Amino acid sequence: MSVSVIEAKDLSKTYEAGRTEVQAVRDVSMTINKGEFTAIVGPSGSGKTTLLNLFGGLDTATSGSLSVVNLDISTLSKRQRADMRLYYLGFVFQAYNLVPVLTARENVEFVLELQGVGDERSDRAGEVLEELGLTEFADRRPNELSGGQQQRVAVARAIASRPRLVLADEPTANLDGENAEILLTMMRRLNTEHDITFVFSTHDPRVVAYAQRVITLVDGCVDKDEIKNAGSC
Amino acid sequence: MKINLSAKYAIRSLSRHLRRTILSVLGIGVGCGLCLFTIAFIRGEKKMMIRAAAESGAGHLTVAPKEWVNTRDNDLRLENWEAKRREIAAIDGIRIVTPRVQTDALLAFGTRMRGILMTGVDPPTEPVANRLVQKLVEGRYLESGEIGTVVVGRTVVKRLNVALDDDLMVTVAGQDGQMSSAMLRIIGIIETGSRELDGTICHVTVEQVEKLTGQQGATQLTILLENPKSLETMEEQLRNRMGNSAAVLDWEELLPEMAAGVEGDETWSRMIVLIIMTVVFLGIASAQLAAVLERRREFAVLSALGMKSGRLVLIMLMEGVVLGFAGALLGLSLGAPTAYYVATKGIDFSGLYGNAEMSMSNILFDPIFYGDFGWWLVPLSFVLALAATSLSSLYPAWYAARTDPARALQVEQ
Repeated sequence: MSVSVIEAKDLSKTYEAGRTEVQAVRDVSMTINKGEFTAIVGPSGSGKTTLLNLFGGLDTATSGSLSVVNLDISTLSKRQRADMRLYYLGFVFQAYNLVPVLTARENVEFVLELQGVGDERSDRAGEVLEELGLTEFADRRPNELSGGQQQRVAVARAIASRPRLVLADEPTANLDGENAEILLTMMRRLNTEHDITFVFSTHDPRVVAYAQRVITLVDGCVDKDEIKNAGSC
Repeated sequence: MKINLSAKYAIRSLSRHLRRTILSVLGIGVGCGLCLFTIAFIRGEKKMMIRAAAESGAGHLTVAPKEWVNTRDNDLRLENWEAKRREIAAIDGIRIVTPRVQTDALLAFGTRMRGILMTGVDPPTEPVANRLVQKLVEGRYLESGEIGTVVVGRTVVKRLNVALDDDLMVTVAGQDGQMSSAMLRIIGIIETGSRELDGTICHVTVEQVEKLTGQQGATQLTILLENPKSLETMEEQLRNRMGNSAAVLDWEELLPEMAAGVEGDETWSRMIVLIIMTVVFLGIASAQLAAVLERRREFAVLSALGMKSGRLVLIMLMEGVVLGFAGALLGLSLGAPTAYYVATKGIDFSGLYGNAEMSMSNILFDPIFYGDFGWWLVPLSFVLALAATSLSSLYPAWYAARTDPARALQVEQ
């Protein structure tokens, strides 16, 4: 039996942009199960990033219900949402967003320190970096790494805390074909070997090709869900 | 010991904009140094003023008849003053005890005359207790039990048009209210450099005043302490010893205008320190806020990774503390040598007074002002700098903690 990691029902998010209201996500309902490798695709402004932010508890929904790793997001305080991200979620961003003053190892360690991991955090960070083939870059700062290497460190940082779910927002957007391939292969391996659920937004066809499930958003609505049901609006 | 990564992050973040950090540290250091110098100078000035007041005749403490406290009646006399003097002199920490008695007198020479407050003194101890006596420029000072002699100030000499060895007709009101006169020979002239002060000096022996007024004894016992810091404990001790037989006054009670002046200077120094530290505070707050605004995306990412607001505030405060620590060291390296120089060489204000001596309320001041110097500068520097930087980091830290991660990340994209 499948265990759901994300359960969204009639999820909507409306922003105020000056005097007008922008409905970024409209009545989205979906379930993402443990171990899925899911791509959310759609044109710019279709609501992909907003949806990921809602899944990550970085933003709150205007209406609807959302459960992530069996936690009802709407009932969580800001602090509890931070804890949820810290212990159960990993994030990968389009622009890598590593802390520039810390080395690759320290970037990975930082999350473990936030989790309260003690002296073994350095070893654990080393193990993760080794698994992703980054040992030789461990003591380099982000500005001494290529884009592909930085994004791999970002993935290492995201999985170091052994999350149940990794949310990746356009992870390959700034990478060339070769590096995008390396990253996707690596993420897919982590997905199968560690049973980590990956949900990523993208409009990169290379990424889509790797996905098990592709959910297409148009104007904030689910237009297509290639594995499960069709659109909800 | 492994350094906490949050601390590492805070410290390294300061090196990102090295010029801004250096300028911030310079601002804190210069401000802190200025504060240290100001406080050191005012502390030294206060010590000098107290010393000047004490050694210009007021003493650190004065024992006088109880009624004298309110009436300042110079006809009052201390009971058993000699026994009291011996008792006080035997206390540890007392530098000198000298008796004084004052009476209004009219000095006359030929057709010239001048009213003055004549002071009866104890010649062996008065020069130790009174720095004015050390300004004797002609003749000699009084000797113990001497009758028929007087030492006057230069202004008195000029006004009466007299000179050394001239005889002055001195008239005072006796015990029964009748006039009592005597011819006193000028055996010494004191010149302090202050015309005002030199016009008030007229010293005779206690015995001479007793003879003229017909009243025996002294009105006051003026006390100088070995260590002025023991003033309060010594005052308490003397009050207990004197009981109801006499009042004990400190220099502040004896010279309220002078005490108000010292208090005013202290208030002024506190204001200067407050102004300087406010400027430093605003400067650092502005620089820290700029640093926060530049790092909004970074804070959003950290927040997305699960960092809580409290940790973010702590990191910003750590940055402030590092700036404050460096600023305190710089402040010490700027303020301490300056304070040391002023404490050892002093600042000469004599030029401001036309090379004349400085006086106020019959107190003779040294024209060279010395600051204070000591280990207290070290903790003070750290307290000032760390308080300013920690407080100035609070608002930027609060602002950082309020970063909306979704919005901050969206803005960047």
